[in-house]
Amino acid sequence: MAPNARKRRGVFSRPWTSLRKLIQALALLAFLVLFVLARGETPGSTTNLFLRLNPLLALVNLFATKALVAGAAVALITIALTFLTGRSWCGWLCPLGTILDWIPLHRWTKGRWTPGEGWRGVKYALLLLTLFAALLGGLTLLIFDPLTILTRGLAVGVWPALDKLVTAAETALYRLPALRTPILAVDTLLRPLILPPVPVTTRASALFAGVLIAVVLLNLFAERFWCRYLCSMGALLGLMSKVALLRRRIEPGCVGCTICTDACPMGTINAADDYASDPGECTMCLECMDDCPLGGTTFAPVLSVDPMRSYDPGRRQVLVTLGAALGGMALIRTVDPEIEHPFALHPPGADAEEFYSQCVRCGQCMRACPTAALQPALTEAGIEGFWTPVLISRLGYCDYGCNACGQSCPVEAIAPLPLVRKQEQVIGRAEIDQDRCLPWIEEQECIVCEEVCPLPEKAIELELAEARLPTGETIILQRPLVIHDLCIGCGMCEYKCPAVGEAAIRVSRCSGEGGLRGGQGRRRGG
Amino acid sequence: MENKTRRVFLRWMAIQMGAVFGGALLASCGRQESRSLQTTALPIAQPLQPTEVDPTGAPLQAEEATAEPTETPASHPHLAVARGGEPGTLVRQAVTALGGMQLFVNPGDEVIVKPNACVDYRTYEYAATTNPWVVGEIVRLCLEAGAGRVRVMDFPFGGDSESAYRRSGIQEQVLAAGGEMEPIRFLKFVETEIPNAIDLKRCQIYEDVLLADVVINVPIAKHHSLGRLTLGMKNLMGVIRDRPYMHGNLGQRLADLASRVRPALTIVDAVRILRANGPTGGRLSDVQKLDTVIASADIVAADSYAATLFGLQPTDLSYIVSGLNMGLGRADLETMKIEEIAVGA
Repeated sequence: MAPNARKRRGVFSRPWTSLRKLIQALALLAFLVLFVLARGETPGSTTNLFLRLNPLLALVNLFATKALVAGAAVALITIALTFLTGRSWCGWLCPLGTILDWIPLHRWTKGRWTPGEGWRGVKYALLLLTLFAALLGGLTLLIFDPLTILTRGLAVGVWPALDKLVTAAETALYRLPALRTPILAVDTLLRPLILPPVPVTTRASALFAGVLIAVVLLNLFAERFWCRYLCSMGALLGLMSKVALLRRRIEPGCVGCTICTDACPMGTINAADDYASDPGECTMCLECMDDCPLGGTTFAPVLSVDPMRSYDPGRRQVLVTLGAALGGMALIRTVDPEIEHPFALHPPGADAEEFYSQCVRCGQCMRACPTAALQPALTEAGIEGFWTPVLISRLGYCDYGCNACGQSCPVEAIAPLPLVRKQEQVIGRAEIDQDRCLPWIEEQECIVCEEVCPLPEKAIELELAEARLPTGETIILQRPLVIHDLCIGCGMCEYKCPAVGEAAIRVSRCSGEGGLRGGQGRRRGG
Repeated sequence: MENKTRRVFLRWMAIQMGAVFGGALLASCGRQESRSLQTTALPIAQPLQPTEVDPTGAPLQAEEATAEPTETPASHPHLAVARGGEPGTLVRQAVTALGGMQLFVNPGDEVIVKPNACVDYRTYEYAATTNPWVVGEIVRLCLEAGAGRVRVMDFPFGGDSESAYRRSGIQEQVLAAGGEMEPIRFLKFVETEIPNAIDLKRCQIYEDVLLADVVINVPIAKHHSLGRLTLGMKNLMGVIRDRPYMHGNLGQRLADLASRVRPALTIVDAVRILRANGPTGGRLSDVQKLDTVIASADIVAADSYAATLFGLQPTDLSYIVSGLNMGLGRADLETMKIEEIAVGA
């Protein structure tokens, strides 16, 4: 009770903690505002700021592509911040960290089971594995990056659910005449900025929201469980923090009262080691300094390398993770993804061959896509392309007037194409299934695919054909055919096809994909 | 201690929610009574004699559409065509020839203007969307006739309505003319019965179109592979939610829809027409500049005349045939009174 009573005294009794909480709230707010604005007119290079601040994303992309993306230089800000002030990103700025701080589930369980210190090594192992796999061109492990978990969880998990919830509530209440005006006012506030203006469909939202919820639920076992034991971005910043300038120092006045060990959200203040802490674990939250009644804790500049702890990665971990990365990549790459996954369509402007080695799985393009055509690959792209964006044409189409995905990609895995270039970019090619198409099998008039084809010279032509009705009557009707050289695979036809279930026109991967229409296409094995 | 604060919080929430919903309930009670789904657009079947318009400006009584189309008064033509001038001038001249906008719009009226803004990726030059200056001038004419509020809306099939309004250029001209753009709210599509329908008995129609005093239909004349052309009746596809369904029996279903929506006035924008690769277009070589505007209270007559611009007979279009069968209007271009205005000459 005693520490709590002291904490209640007011904002100014714990000035650093109060300041930190204010900045945390502002950073989370900024993250959410940018997240919301990512769908709309705001430039994608602004709305993806948080992802570009993430040095792990920049580093793995550099490792995998062996090329530097200019926009990723923003991550140098975080790197500089870390070399000066340790893992302050984690304590002060990380939006996921702030959410974890705000949901202190560990108070419910009161630490019935808490992982041992050895668990801290898990995040370093994950980091090493991620980096080695990246050197070999595999980026699948980026699904464990905290900012990708948050962005993806919000974009294809929480937000679609929120949309469904709000829409259902609005629809129900709109039936009451008295509520129409306020409901319409609310709807106008929300759309198109916050929620999509047209109904969109997202697959497996529960899975992506579930990952985010699981990270939060880990808080049951320990405060900031994720940050202590699992966060690979935190591990990267932690390694840099071993040589950070500003570090925690114990003053001679310390009497060993353990207030600071209890206060530390990372649990890194070790009573057995004279209350010293690991700068690789310390998030610079400054709670220990604010809480110490005797001024026994300060933060001061130090020029040295902090000693390695038992859980820090050593030679053995490096070798084991390197071996695991080599073996894992070999196992994943036993098959050519193009052959195994013919319907894994990449976003327009993605390099058909290298995309899985460039995409950091952040989900920002999926937030930017106004039709929700881009969704994380579940099985379409195999393990190598797991949770990379695939264009699911049956659920959403690539809008002919939109190039938002390329503009919003933090690592330019989707090239930031100008609109006129994107309109010529080949995503795939449509093919008509004549066993499902209405005018082909049921002798019914239907030209929807041709009507909606956005190309100036339509890639679907209608041929006149004579058809015999069951009544014996003969009619002339129009049957659609795809003109292969014109089609860019935007999927508008597949999206709008009135066939029940699977569309009668489907877009699949093709030669020339990833290049310009009519240009020299890529050839298999070439 | 903790239970108590939770209870206090819940009670406080309940009071707040009650206040908000109660207030909203009271605020919107009076407003709804003045309207009902019965008041629809001015039926064209009603004789448009100026003497029938109440001089005090009271709105015309909406009547059930009769099966027989009636003649417009002898003093005014059934259809007006203006050629060879600026889009705005063409609209003004054609409407003036019909007797002026005050025949269709009464002071205080709620007006919905329905242009064609079918996709959000074309500017007006490509003739996939209605000419912005045509729409702007219609808004201006309605306001000059004393309309209470003029809103412009379309439900595009590519992209969302607001981006289509911007890209097509329609928003800019409408706002400049003093009108408003109506962003499509999916809540407003209401299941509606179509009493006179032959095929399309029920359909989700945009509520505001049904509630408006006057609906003005402003199609752009362009190519369409199934309907051959998209004109006035085809343009009404933009007030319903389920478009692909319409394609099954397009001509009849469009006529059914027109029998319910009943635009007071149809103004066909043929300033630029799209002769191929419609309805979305994208090649300027498919666009022909005709500088023509066709206006009529009779949607079938307007479409019939527009068909001739493409060298087609009115009966070449399935929806005109269905419209004639349902008695929605006339297609006898040789006998109806048509006023042709040469603006440029």
